Amino acid sequence: MRSIAEINDKILRQQAVVWTVEELKAKVQEIGITQAAKQVDVITTGTFEPMESSGAILNIGHTDPPIKIRQCWLDGVPAYSGFGAVDLYLGATQMVDYAGVGDSEGQDLRDRGGGHVIADLVAGKPVHLRAIGQVTDCYSRASFETTISCDTINQFYLFNPRNLYQNFIVGVNGGDRPLFTYLGPLQPQLGNAVYSNPGAISPLMNDPDLQLVGIGTRIFLGGGIGYVAWEGTQHFPLQKRLPNHTPIGPAATLALIGDAKQMQSRWVRGCYFKNYGSSLMLGVGVPFPVLQEEVVAHCAVQDQDLVAPVMDFSIPRRVRPTFGLVTYAQLKSGKIAIDGKAVRVAPLASIYLSRQVAQELKQWIEAGQFTLTEPVAAIPMDRSFVAQDRRGTQINLE
Amino acid sequence: MKKRVTLTFPKRSVHMPVTYRLAKDFNVAANIIRAQVTPNQIGTLVVELSGDIDQLDAALDWMRSQDIGISLASREIVIDDDLCVHCGLCTGVCPTTALNLDPQTFKLNFTRSRCVVCEQCIPTCPVQAISTNL
Repeated sequence: MRSIAEINDKILRQQAVVWTVEELKAKVQEIGITQAAKQVDVITTGTFEPMESSGAILNIGHTDPPIKIRQCWLDGVPAYSGFGAVDLYLGATQMVDYAGVGDSEGQDLRDRGGGHVIADLVAGKPVHLRAIGQVTDCYSRASFETTISCDTINQFYLFNPRNLYQNFIVGVNGGDRPLFTYLGPLQPQLGNAVYSNPGAISPLMNDPDLQLVGIGTRIFLGGGIGYVAWEGTQHFPLQKRLPNHTPIGPAATLALIGDAKQMQSRWVRGCYFKNYGSSLMLGVGVPFPVLQEEVVAHCAVQDQDLVAPVMDFSIPRRVRPTFGLVTYAQLKSGKIAIDGKAVRVAPLASIYLSRQVAQELKQWIEAGQFTLTEPVAAIPMDRSFVAQDRRGTQINLE
Repeated sequence: MKKRVTLTFPKRSVHMPVTYRLAKDFNVAANIIRAQVTPNQIGTLVVELSGDIDQLDAALDWMRSQDIGISLASREIVIDDDLCVHCGLCTGVCPTTALNLDPQTFKLNFTRSRCVVCEQCIPTCPVQAISTNL
């Protein structure tokens, strides 16, 4: 139908026809898949949700005399420093280390974590750095303290091992006490339900077999340009799927990378879930080239064609009991029925901002500022999902 | 007109049927938003009073004369629009649907008149965009 090179040629001449995935879904209802596929060159998708397996790589530059950092705190949040002398990795869920924080401020800082520090750096705010070094003949300095910002360090890029979940679960609490989870508070006796995937507008729900996305795919990441780096951790493409190829629960994931210095604070937000911990809310947008009609057929999927499993968090086990599957159309209505009981449902992904991500990416492409890439390699679609069980005999002979 | 007030009852006034007197003597309707009333303890009542402006003032004067504490600055939920990301997590814990998502735009709506200031939304908000104004 068309090649990526042809689409890019049109983008550079600002003649590409770009629709957000919602515009496409509406058009397909109106004129059908074949006609829509003839008209549109690129479909944009977006999501804005907490992605806790995210983190930032920083290189702070060498001090004089130089230091080989072995322990480091950014605004009191520990950053991993077990590689080159002044390379750091700051994870989104890393909690404030109380030992590193003045006692009067400790109370306010409890809700802060790595995600907030990353968001502050993206926003251009100053961040306090404290480092302890190992003294060697190459690096003579033992400790260092300063204030950094994104302009005073060398590299600052997000390298997120697991983002962009293809589908997720719906959390409920069938127990008798409130639970504080990564989906927010779940009230007892099925008091509420939370879903975290934006459904039919979610990027990978529209490319269920990952035919368009691969290693090297250029994307919108946090308001800047990013790339798909690898399969994500816990990538589970073999999840059970519906006849439309969309998974019935958590499935494919992607590792993403992108220059955080170009990102915008609007799309990179620190967040905190009460009694659970901190995380990072991130806007991610993925463009799909309409190479053939099948692309449009996949992107035409509607909320009523997608499902997620309702899981009971009151059983703290790896395999939690499920109340069955519900469609995203039911979830977005704000109420689902579980065992005949009406339960309030709230999203955790911002559907409002997810749409704006798709809209912004569309504008970039229309303006000729963002071209599409051929994947360098495909994401494997045959990965199994291994659990961590103790191997060997469990019998204690003592 | 309508006025939202917080009433504080001293121990000896707790037995008084205040809302009945407001209705009968002043023609003021009292919609109870929140209440904490126990025999022989100081009680508090958050009420929305509606009625004629003069009669409302007369009702407030009468309550003051009965040693009932009246605070016009009642606690209200405030949402910081710069911080809110419209995720909607708060809508799942709001008992009165004062917090709800627009079914079309999925933007967060807050209907202040429906809010009972239960404050469950405050710790639920992942970006700390919700607080009270007191």
